[in-house]
Amino acid sequence: MSLQFEKLCSLILLEHFGEIIQKVGNDLYKCQSKPLNLIVGSTKLPFQKVKQALRIMIQYGFVTFAEGQFPDKAEYTLLADKVILLLRYPRYLLLMKTQYGDEAEMLVEEILRRGQDTASSVIIRAATRLKESLKVEKVCLVTLHDKFSVLVNKQFLMRCPSPDEEKGVPVLTIKEKLLYLPPELNLKGLADIEEGKPGDPGDGGIYWRVNFDRFHQDFRDQIMVSAISRRCDDNAGELLKELLKQMYLRTEAWAATSNPVPFTELREAVRKQSSRPLLGQYIEQYLKVMEEDSSGFVSKVGDSSGGQYSINMKTAFVQLTWATIENIVMERFGSKGARIFRLVRAKKFVEQEQIQQVAMIPAKEAKLLTYRLLEENFLHIQELRKSLANNVPNKTFFLFHIDLNQVARMVLEMCYKALYNAMVRREHERSENRRMVEKQQRIESITLTMREQGATAEQLAEIEEMLTPPEQALLEKVRTMINKLSEAELQLDETMFILQLYLSYQV
Amino acid sequence: MNANKTGESVPKGSDHSNAESSEDRILALAKASAKGISDKDIQNEIPDLRPDQRASIINKFLSKGYLDLFTQGGTLLYKLKDPTVAQKVKGADNEEKIVYSIIEEAGNKGIWIRDIRFKSNLIPTQLNKLLKILENKKLIKAVKSVSASKKKVYMLYNLEPDRSVTGGAWYCDQDFEAEFVDVLNQQCYRYLQQKLEATKDCKGGPIAARNISYASSKDVWKYISDLGISKVQLSVEDVETILDTLLYDGKVERTVATDGDHFYRAVESLLPAPGIVRLPCGVCPVLQNCSDVGSVNPKKCVYMKEWLE
Repeated sequence: MSLQFEKLCSLILLEHFGEIIQKVGNDLYKCQSKPLNLIVGSTKLPFQKVKQALRIMIQYGFVTFAEGQFPDKAEYTLLADKVILLLRYPRYLLLMKTQYGDEAEMLVEEILRRGQDTASSVIIRAATRLKESLKVEKVCLVTLHDKFSVLVNKQFLMRCPSPDEEKGVPVLTIKEKLLYLPPELNLKGLADIEEGKPGDPGDGGIYWRVNFDRFHQDFRDQIMVSAISRRCDDNAGELLKELLKQMYLRTEAWAATSNPVPFTELREAVRKQSSRPLLGQYIEQYLKVMEEDSSGFVSKVGDSSGGQYSINMKTAFVQLTWATIENIVMERFGSKGARIFRLVRAKKFVEQEQIQQVAMIPAKEAKLLTYRLLEENFLHIQELRKSLANNVPNKTFFLFHIDLNQVARMVLEMCYKALYNAMVRREHERSENRRMVEKQQRIESITLTMREQGATAEQLAEIEEMLTPPEQALLEKVRTMINKLSEAELQLDETMFILQLYLSYQV
Repeated sequence: MNANKTGESVPKGSDHSNAESSEDRILALAKASAKGISDKDIQNEIPDLRPDQRASIINKFLSKGYLDLFTQGGTLLYKLKDPTVAQKVKGADNEEKIVYSIIEEAGNKGIWIRDIRFKSNLIPTQLNKLLKILENKKLIKAVKSVSASKKKVYMLYNLEPDRSVTGGAWYCDQDFEAEFVDVLNQQCYRYLQQKLEATKDCKGGPIAARNISYASSKDVWKYISDLGISKVQLSVEDVETILDTLLYDGKVERTVATDGDHFYRAVESLLPAPGIVRLPCGVCPVLQNCSDVGSVNPKKCVYMKEWLE
């Protein structure tokens, strides 16, 4: 929880929800938890506004509440990590689109928009939007309902907990078995509502939200599979995917190491896939190659039933974090700098003299790079004194080493800062050219109304000429700039994801 | 040791024929035993030799440089010196001999002039003169060390300087040849990469493919030697140090075979360049100074401007 993180959070809230929520969010960020009247006091906002802001943030899952020091008085807590997830929403949608199709994307998007919602209203809104985008008269509600159930079964969506009894500060609870129970909708009622008639879909009071962890699990698997594919080949990647599937059958998804998967079952599963004959033929060899690879994703834990294999999630993410940070050092300090960084990593504790000898870099350059790495906190220094007495002239060794945990946190901070900068810059570009964008919008609306009124092509061309070519070029430039920045924000998020996951495994 | 060394030398043409034969016998004894002989051995060999006579003979030999003196387990040992070495310092005075022996002791690592001064207790001007004389006689030479460019070390003339002094194949006149190393580094990588690419259409399964992509350090050495890019003869160890730099570049990985040989293969990094470095902030040198206020801020950032254009 750093200053940079706070700034980023606050900016995200401002961008998506406006000033009032930003103020309330900032206020909550500064303290652990706070009752309502204290928030009103410190933000100097009207009571009603704060209440509304809290309501909205609770709906999106950014704020939780619980009974505080005084009975019957709720205290509110901001979950800043959830706020940051807002930036990841496009990636969630992309995952849905690629794996489960457009309908699934639409459904998830509708839930994300509202934070939480009932199944029936999500389906109806998705149906209306699908009609618009596909330009068709009728959308099959049953398909949408089935899709919804599939997503629930796959645990991408989950039920929201509900207050158990109306007394004092409500406690939100939900029974475990209900969490992923697909909704039973009255399809007739649903169809009636869609046509604008009154009807009862039969799911009043049951709200759904998105299970972010499940999405993260898929992202994690994607990262690991693509890493193995890069290291070995696509077949190995496919095998890891299969191994992960087997893992979920017997292990909790976020365990540091999976329970052992017997070879025979793995072979059975691979054999069912006929698309990769090479993999079926060489499955033992692929397992051996993966097991012996320095990345250490997979290890053999036993010999019974043809060999037992387990996946080391924690080790995998340690390796991936190293790879990420090494790449960053490579870009920031050049390949020589990266060489020194890796050398210190391999040797654990090493003296300056030894670095320049082993790395085969001229002494001056090696010193410069080492101390620059030290200055920017990628390397750390450990003093080693021969004796602790002050009056004796003693020799002190200065050993360089790397504290991965610390470096990962620092790089994460860098990411937050970069993200914040990108967002600030994007807003800046937008506001600088606001006048121009507004003018363009005005012209577009005029053209639209003129066309509806049946204006001639000549008139239309005349209006369009109100935007001069240089202006148009500028508009185009601003648009590409903003796109580039938004794209960079998404890419940044991938780096952040790996580092966050690494840190979560370290706890 | 000094007491023995500085003993008066007995003139060769002594009329003590008895003493002369004892001298010969002691020499023969020393010659026979490579380990060296002790006072006791001499006593056993020549029982009628008086201790003072023995001492004078030994002193004579020591000053002439025929014998070396050692202590082992509290007893003194005399060992026959290599006659060729004795030949070299012939005609030199005692100081020269001492300086020579100090330098000889240092071996091919060489010894710094300051250390010679401390060990010999000679004054600097005298020592300088002695070193110059020895240098002119081609008995010793001065070698510049790579670790400190102004530091000269002395060693025997016929010795090949140690790697720690010359820096091995990578130094030319005390300068590290960074370009040479870079070129070798690239060539080694190219060789390993070719091997890796050859595995792309290997049909023998992943293990066979992996084994093909491995190259031993000897293979790489042969390839580099055949290329003829190096003027100096490189050893397998030299090539291994180059391969190790590739290891630290993250471009290859290393395994050790059962017979102790190192094998190398090219590998891909686990991840492509991370998202943060695609943004100027990821490589920004002033990121730490960047904030909302002040002259370094994201709104006015020149790096961003360049990148966005």
